[in-house]
Amino acid sequence: MEKPCTLLVHFDKGTPAMANEIKEALEGSDVAAKVDAMKRAIMLLLNGETLPQLFITIVRYVLPSEDHTVQKLLLIYLEIIDKTDARGRVLPEMILICQNLLNNLQHANEYIRGVTLRFLCRISEPEILEPLIPSVLTNLEHRHPFIRRNALLAISSIYRLPNGEQLLPDAPELVEKALGSEQDASARRNAFLMLCNCSQDRAVAYLLSNADRVPEWPDLLQMAVVDLIRKVCRANRPDKGRHIKIIISLLNSPSTAVVYECAGALVSLSSAPTAVRAAANTYCQLLSSQSDNNVRLIILDRLNELRKSHREVMSEVVMDVLRALSSPNPDVRRKVLDIVLDLVSTKNVDEVVLFLKKEVVKTQAAGESDKDAGGEYRQMLVQAIHACTIKFPEVAGSVVHVLMDFLGDSNVASAIDVVIFVREIIETNPKLRVSMIQRLIDTFYQIRAARVCSCALWILGEYSLSLSEVEAAISTIKQCLGELPFYSATEDAEPTTDSTKQPHAVSSATTSSRRPVVLADGTYATQSAASETAGVAPSVLPGSLSSIPNLRSLILSGDFFLAAVVASTLTKLVLRLEEVQPAQAETNKACSAALLVMVSMLQFGQSGFAPHPIDDDSYDRIVLCVRLLCNTGDEVRKVWLESCRQSFAKMLAEKQFRETEELRAKAQISHAQPDDLIDFYHLKSRKGMSQLELEDEVHDDLKRATGEFTKDADDASRLNRILQLTGFSDPVYAEAYVTVHHYDIVLDVTIINRTKETLQNLCLELATMGDLKLVDRPQNYTLAPESSRQIKANIKVSSTETGVIFGNIVYETSNVMERNVVVLNDIHIDIMDYISPATCADVTFRNMWAEFEWENKVAVSTVIQDEKEFLEHIIKSTNMKCLTPPSALEGDCGFLAANLYAKSVFGEDALVNISVEKQADGKLSGYIRIRSKTQGIALSLGDKITLKQKGGDH
Amino acid sequence: MVVLAASVLTKTGKVLVSRQFVDMPRIRIEGLLAAFPKLVGTGKQHTYVETENVRYVYQPIEALYIILVTNKQSNILEDLDTLRLLAKVVPEYAPSLDEEGIGEMAFEIIFAFDECLSLGNKENLTVAQVRQYCEMESHEEKLHKLVLQSKMNEAKDVMKRKATEIEKSKIEKGKFQTGAYSSISGPRRSESGFGDINISSSGSGFGSGSGFGLNTESIDSFSSKSKDRPAASAKAPPKGLGMQLGKKTQKTNQFLESLKAEGEVIIEDVQPSAVQSKSVLPPTDPITVTIEEKLNIIVEKNGALRNFDLQGTLSLQILNQDDGFIQLQIENRDMPGLSFKTHPNINKDLFNREQIIGLKDPNRPFPTGQNDVGLMKWRIQKMDESSLPLTVNCWPSVSGNETYVNIEYEASDLFDLQNVVISVPLPALRDAPTVNQIDGEWRYDARNSSLEWSILLIDHSNRSGSMEFVVPPADQSAFFPISIKFAASSTYSDVKVAGINSLKGATVPKYSQRVQLITDSYQVV
Repeated sequence: MEKPCTLLVHFDKGTPAMANEIKEALEGSDVAAKVDAMKRAIMLLLNGETLPQLFITIVRYVLPSEDHTVQKLLLIYLEIIDKTDARGRVLPEMILICQNLLNNLQHANEYIRGVTLRFLCRISEPEILEPLIPSVLTNLEHRHPFIRRNALLAISSIYRLPNGEQLLPDAPELVEKALGSEQDASARRNAFLMLCNCSQDRAVAYLLSNADRVPEWPDLLQMAVVDLIRKVCRANRPDKGRHIKIIISLLNSPSTAVVYECAGALVSLSSAPTAVRAAANTYCQLLSSQSDNNVRLIILDRLNELRKSHREVMSEVVMDVLRALSSPNPDVRRKVLDIVLDLVSTKNVDEVVLFLKKEVVKTQAAGESDKDAGGEYRQMLVQAIHACTIKFPEVAGSVVHVLMDFLGDSNVASAIDVVIFVREIIETNPKLRVSMIQRLIDTFYQIRAARVCSCALWILGEYSLSLSEVEAAISTIKQCLGELPFYSATEDAEPTTDSTKQPHAVSSATTSSRRPVVLADGTYATQSAASETAGVAPSVLPGSLSSIPNLRSLILSGDFFLAAVVASTLTKLVLRLEEVQPAQAETNKACSAALLVMVSMLQFGQSGFAPHPIDDDSYDRIVLCVRLLCNTGDEVRKVWLESCRQSFAKMLAEKQFRETEELRAKAQISHAQPDDLIDFYHLKSRKGMSQLELEDEVHDDLKRATGEFTKDADDASRLNRILQLTGFSDPVYAEAYVTVHHYDIVLDVTIINRTKETLQNLCLELATMGDLKLVDRPQNYTLAPESSRQIKANIKVSSTETGVIFGNIVYETSNVMERNVVVLNDIHIDIMDYISPATCADVTFRNMWAEFEWENKVAVSTVIQDEKEFLEHIIKSTNMKCLTPPSALEGDCGFLAANLYAKSVFGEDALVNISVEKQADGKLSGYIRIRSKTQGIALSLGDKITLKQKGGDH
Repeated sequence: MVVLAASVLTKTGKVLVSRQFVDMPRIRIEGLLAAFPKLVGTGKQHTYVETENVRYVYQPIEALYIILVTNKQSNILEDLDTLRLLAKVVPEYAPSLDEEGIGEMAFEIIFAFDECLSLGNKENLTVAQVRQYCEMESHEEKLHKLVLQSKMNEAKDVMKRKATEIEKSKIEKGKFQTGAYSSISGPRRSESGFGDINISSSGSGFGSGSGFGLNTESIDSFSSKSKDRPAASAKAPPKGLGMQLGKKTQKTNQFLESLKAEGEVIIEDVQPSAVQSKSVLPPTDPITVTIEEKLNIIVEKNGALRNFDLQGTLSLQILNQDDGFIQLQIENRDMPGLSFKTHPNINKDLFNREQIIGLKDPNRPFPTGQNDVGLMKWRIQKMDESSLPLTVNCWPSVSGNETYVNIEYEASDLFDLQNVVISVPLPALRDAPTVNQIDGEWRYDARNSSLEWSILLIDHSNRSGSMEFVVPPADQSAFFPISIKFAASSTYSDVKVAGINSLKGATVPKYSQRVQLITDSYQVV
């Protein structure tokens, strides 16, 4: 393991601090100057200087200082200097400091003693510690608790050293004795922890003999108890009951931290439903009693973990979890809903949905004060209800009507969610159809958003079956369109009289910039700004709009897509009417009315009064509707009345299928392979196994956190990473073995002296380009003839970017007193090491796409002929995930569009959109667009794609 | 349940201070902290971030983040408690909550972190307790020091007593040299023997001399009481007696006082002994004449002299009593406003007539011993600006965002000045001021916030000099009062001892004279 680093202090390189200046100040008698010089010396040391000449100065002039700050700084200095030579032996001069430490341990000032004891915890050289041990032990009985606390810590860490038992053979007994008579909470905790770590039997014995008093113990000690119990119970099962009893008694501790810890311990000790239930209840209590969002979120994480392993128990506490929705924090609410939705079962679904419904109503009551937050929350609730009803369609009836009140919600997103929900329910729940259509017809006039409108229209067109429904639908639409024609001669003359029209015209004229968006299926579309403004406009002019029917105002603002939807809905309704209306005259009347609407829309679209003229697609669509109504046929009727619904049903089915597929895939992952090795903890041999394997997961977690515990990749792939840095005929041969960790790159450089001379002051100088930073300063080495040496260089990485490391090796030979330089090959750091495939929702992807500033557009140039093969190739070579569902990529239509997504270890997002088309000559053409928040990713990923997209030859 | 590290970062992600409580390599902690700013989202209502392996719990304060790095199993409730404590502690120590403020007090913050988290385990402390632990005020240490001090004082008492004994024995030796007869009674002899032991153990140059004295004593044991007594009463015995009497009471006193209060009482006790031990060192010539003039000057900014006061003293130190029968011939420059005052025991007539200092009673010797005996004082007043030994001119001028301060000095050619220190007070600054140009050397005293311009020697080669430094904008008055210190080896009055006449007609003993002019206080206001 590398030398541990105990502190970092920002060092401003601008301030010059020369070693001799520091030395002078240290030698002087001015305490302030001395303190300052010590600080500077420490900073220089932290910055990689070695300052060997300072040591003696410090021993001579700083050691005897009486000042407390100087003494403390001295301890820090001693903490960070190298105390051993290259071979791991303690440097002889370290003996000089021992006397000083000894004096400090017997110092009259209790704080000096305490601080020195604490410093000893960070010392691992037995040679230094040995002479100090008697003094450490006497401090155990000092009457000041500050000293005792630290003495216990020191004893604990000394005992845990590799040869600690020899240094302090009777430490556990002493500590146990001390623990018995100790009063100070923190000292007791330290003593107890020492026993836990060094002599578990004693700790357990002490705990069990005091089991009754544990609930009265101070919270610090209780924490240690919980920790111990968790450890002990892994190994020692028979008396688990007694331990669990202690834990249960601690669940009523006044300290919430202890309670939280207990709950965690309970779960890890036992999977019995009682224990899990107790833990879950505890968590729920904490959830409602703690107002801190951090705590709530983390408790929810714990509950989520419980959910995975103990579903049945958790579904009992669903309602308790739901209560946390009262928190105003959206993250908390989202997490709560996630947990709850997964736990919904036939037993509790009614309750859950009822609660959700109440919450929805509450958001409405909350009113306009927190409109944004309320809207977002409502959207979450609607989605949650939606998910519930998909699982348990029978509950839909109780909520759908309440939800339909929100079709006219000013929050477009939640209204869209509602309408999509309605669309799905009406298909899957035929029983509700009649009442829902009725309700939709009633509330249709409230709908303000164009997208919601078009969806509602589709529902009306598709599911109005009976005569009365069809007629009501037609009349509602007509009503919403208002008086025809859309504009008149008077408007021609005085266009300003129309108060609503003018602002729309202005606003869309100013915002009619066209911006590209990515659609859900990955197609790269150009969206006209007008439709966006149309969605926004109603909230801008609520007063005037109340008088004008919604469809009319939307169409007047130039939303011709909506006009096309209106046209096709009317067509559909008229076709249906033909089937159900016995009176031919009525049908004809309706038909001609519909034709009139369509024609006026076309007329309006082509007149100069629309904010912009009608687009071709909408025009064609409306014209098609007109033509259909003029001469209908069975074929057409079938397409319009049946196939449409069929494909919708198919879409729903596929969605469901995909979800179940995913679930199944998830379930499969969690199972072990049939031929997997099974570890029996109790059968593991204690001998010859590394400490790591015997530790429990808490320790693993700690080790991972400190970076000590990294999974080794298999050796074969490691060998691929060896890079030759110099030529074989160079006087110095170097090769590097590059390991890329998360935030750092380690270069293990092997340097071989190939000459017959001794190379002096050999130095590996590295420089970096990109967001890379060298951590250590290069050191000088002397290399004997034909010998080799391993040099390790650490490079810090702070963002995802292709980086280059340059370097050279500089050395001197004895006879030529000039520096020789060998230039090294560049080391390229690949962006692929930093990004990993990830998923995100469609909407987030598109939001990010709109938001990110950097775009890199790469023209497709490849030898691959097949679009899908090309996509596969790009996915493979960029290590990204395709977000576009495979069903959307099916078929062979000559073009393909897909979205890819990946996340870097630094949490940066990388978005890629591929749009390719097969040319007539069989070649693929198109573009790959990369977007990211930072330039680095966009550029590096672009380079990577340009390099790899050719394909074929690999 | 251990905190891995407690750190302070700027909002931009620069690591200002980080204290690790668990062993981890530098690259790891730097990596973790470097990743943090990227992970912190904006607009979040919670203040923790989790990655695959660690959890950061943070709290933004002004331009900073205070961060605890923990593992993911860590107890969030405890960590939040700790974080709250840290967030209270950091502003306690940092003068300002930004990069500079933290950088200045980085180590103090690390010390405080160490107290808040003992090796990563939470401590239930309050801010006041952390403060107390960091200040390290220890009652026990004070007691311990007092005990030590009283022991030292005791030892010094012994030393003083020994010193007087040595002197006594020396005087006896001197008497022997001048042919006086003396007899030593039993107890005296034993005393001197004791002194002798002390001397030889101290191993100083006296050892051999008084060894000789002992020998002569044993041979010559005549002594007239009349001779011995006045000498004894003149100096040593009362002192020694006082010490001996005080010995017991003083010891108890020391304890009482130590219990009562701080160490100031003791310091008073220390100083005289320190002076004495110092003055023991240069027993060069048998007679030393010290002539000293002290200046008390206040000059206004514009150069006008507000106050000029010069006080001179002539003092005499005679080591051996036999050399005490002398008269001093004085000479001085004739100056207006110069008036002398002599000690009441001095023969005024003689002085006024012939400028000779001698005692009224020619049969009495001058007091002897280690102390200077003041014989004559004089004053000079009503001098004008032209006679100032050194004038200093300070010109602060504001230019843009900075204040340029030009200082020049001009020394009169009457004196060669040594160890000139001109200290200019500065407004409270973060960094040392930038000195653009300087004749001599400078030093910035951050504690007192002053700039010290020191010139080792001003002689004919550098009668004038200047310096210029730049500080952030400040009021002109901030740079006053400037105080000036120097010393010179000649005086205004030019009082000198021209010669020494021995009244006993024996050979004139060797004498040395020290002449110096020093500033008591010289301020430009």
